[in-house]
Amino acid sequence: MTAPLLSVKDLSVTFRSDDGDLTAVRGMSFDVMPGEVLAVVGESGSGKSVTSLAIMGLLPRSARVSGSAMFDGRELIGADLKQLRKIRGKDIAMIFQDPMTALNPVFTIGSQIVEAITLHNDMSDKAAWERATELLNLVGIPDPKRRVKLYPHEYSGGMRQRAMIAMAMANEPKLLIADEPTTALDVTIQAQVLQVIRKAQAVTGAAMVLITHDLGVVAGLADRVNVMYAGAVFESGDIDDIFYRTANPYTLGLLGSIPILTARVSDKLTPIPGAPPNLRRLPEGCPFRPRCVFATEVCHGSEPDLMAVNGGRHRSRCYHIDKVAEARAGSTV
Amino acid sequence: MLAYTVRRLFSSVVLLFIGTAVVFGLTSISSNPELLLATCPPTRCGAEFRSEMIQMYQLDKTIPERYVSWLGDAVQGDLGTAVRDGRRPVTEVLGERLPKTLLLAIPAFVLTALIAVALGVYSAVRQYSVGDNALTAFSFIGISMPTFFFGLLLQVFWGVWWQEWTGTRPFYVTGYHNADFMDLVSSLTLPVATLMLVSVAGESRFGRASMLEVINSEYIRTARAKGLPERKVIFHHALRNALIPLVTIWALDFALLLSGSVITETVFAWPGIGSYFLRSITNYDLDPVMAIMVFTAAITIMFNLIADVMYGVLDPRVRYD
Ligand SMILES: Nc1ncnc2c1ncn2[C@@H]1O[C@H](COP(=O)(O)OP(=O)(O)OP(=O)(O)O)[C@@H](O)[C@H]1O
Ligand SMILES: [Mg+2]
Repeated sequence: MTAPLLSVKDLSVTFRSDDGDLTAVRGMSFDVMPGEVLAVVGESGSGKSVTSLAIMGLLPRSARVSGSAMFDGRELIGADLKQLRKIRGKDIAMIFQDPMTALNPVFTIGSQIVEAITLHNDMSDKAAWERATELLNLVGIPDPKRRVKLYPHEYSGGMRQRAMIAMAMANEPKLLIADEPTTALDVTIQAQVLQVIRKAQAVTGAAMVLITHDLGVVAGLADRVNVMYAGAVFESGDIDDIFYRTANPYTLGLLGSIPILTARVSDKLTPIPGAPPNLRRLPEGCPFRPRCVFATEVCHGSEPDLMAVNGGRHRSRCYHIDKVAEARAGSTV
Repeated sequence: MLAYTVRRLFSSVVLLFIGTAVVFGLTSISSNPELLLATCPPTRCGAEFRSEMIQMYQLDKTIPERYVSWLGDAVQGDLGTAVRDGRRPVTEVLGERLPKTLLLAIPAFVLTALIAVALGVYSAVRQYSVGDNALTAFSFIGISMPTFFFGLLLQVFWGVWWQEWTGTRPFYVTGYHNADFMDLVSSLTLPVATLMLVSVAGESRFGRASMLEVINSEYIRTARAKGLPERKVIFHHALRNALIPLVTIWALDFALLLSGSVITETVFAWPGIGSYFLRSITNYDLDPVMAIMVFTAAITIMFNLIADVMYGVLDPRVRYD
């Protein structure tokens, strides 16, 4: 078996504030294999963005990060800034949610891409501008020769996100982290941009962590899925494990396929009754217990571990994996 | 951009005319020579003096009539007579005093801008550090204390205390001296420092706020995610954006300095426009008062225009058409 490209172990992030500490990520562990697409899903506030920012060392100073993230043999957590800077943008590139605000408004698109290129490559300015134009062409921006000289506000939302993707691809990273790359876009262009991301990933051969709310995207793009709740992985497995052999009540809820909730399977994550937990004061035992239809006495005790389902890589954090599987089998899907 | 500038120039001129009318009206009402004459005992203001005043200030005409005649003269470059200055034309007196005001204004403006940006960046990058908190305290003192307080403080410190301690006086504490360059610098130091203390306090606050907003924006995170060194993130990506809103502040501050710092020039007996303004008011010398107010209005309007044009240059999102 090949070694993972990124191996996150027991990653925790706590924000200190005057209202007390908030633990946004609690002992996350997961691997990303070279070339693999890992989708990360979960309700708002479950710690998806914080996890990826922690890996990149981009969290504000108020965050305390512990645990380990080994990338290609190098430890990222606690690494000094100089070392991180060599990895950022070169080996790991990020695509952010809102292309309207993620690009600097006072510099041209071209100069922002060129900056990313020349920072990590010994390349003349002229060659870098040519490469930037080429990249824009690759992500499907028409008339790239002219558009490379335009400012972000002269691009549409979809084009800006394409430009962000071009910038992320510029140094052929080994890992792309895309944090809800289509959420802020018009529905009609989401699919196109996703296509571009898929292409970028294929062209560079990069592995990808794809944070999304869109189960259609997960199904279409991902090899594996991490389902997050309250700062921890609740279920992890390949596409079929998650969609057809669901082993966690929370995932079932997201899929909208719990019979008693009478929801139908839709593309979007289904809202689950009840509120996401207060991260400052998690309930005793399993954090999902107050909203869980399967909860029993045992769930009040201690939080369940992420346990193997059928011995494979499919894992679930639940005491009632069997009952969930039964309910799954009995549901309409 | 050019069309916009030309259009704005036209509206600026209109604005200036409206401004002069308002200022003229207010000046004529508030320091009405008619009333002064009425309360002046005949022993001091004889019949001859009275008729001269009436003729000079056209007191037999209505205020609108006087304004039209003032405007007619003004557009031809005649801003009236400085009665208390040897009855010379106001423009001549202002021509002598303006360069001295510039001598204060330009160094004060440039140094203030540089220091305020540096402090603003420092405070924003090290938000809530000891240094930032100290600067916050300093700013609040600077903003809330009146200018003359700092002026007098500097005078007492360098003119009295320092001399007592060391027996030397490195700076002139009043007046304009220009025997040689060092002499000039020495007489400029304290008034420029006084002007700066107050404006650094205000501008660095703006700088800090503007920088903080930018530093927390997503494109700064993008810049870091690229692998850029922090120095480039701050001084290239962040500062360039943070300076844009400062342009307006700078334009207004500079306009204020150019039209003469009334308090500072008076405290330091500096022969500029500001001290002349105060002197003319206390002397009821109406033409210079009117002229300086119009000058101030013109400068303010002009720098507002410059600020707006600068916005278009600095911020590609701003389009004038
Ligand atoms: N800089 C910060 N300071 C304090 N708390 C933070 C900070 N950033 C995130 N959090 C908190 O951490 C928790 C997880 O946030 P995160 O952004 O990772 O959620 P998410 O899963 O990405 O949600 P979404 O789907 O809305 O993007 C939230 O409760 C959030 O309020
Ligand atoms: Mg997020």
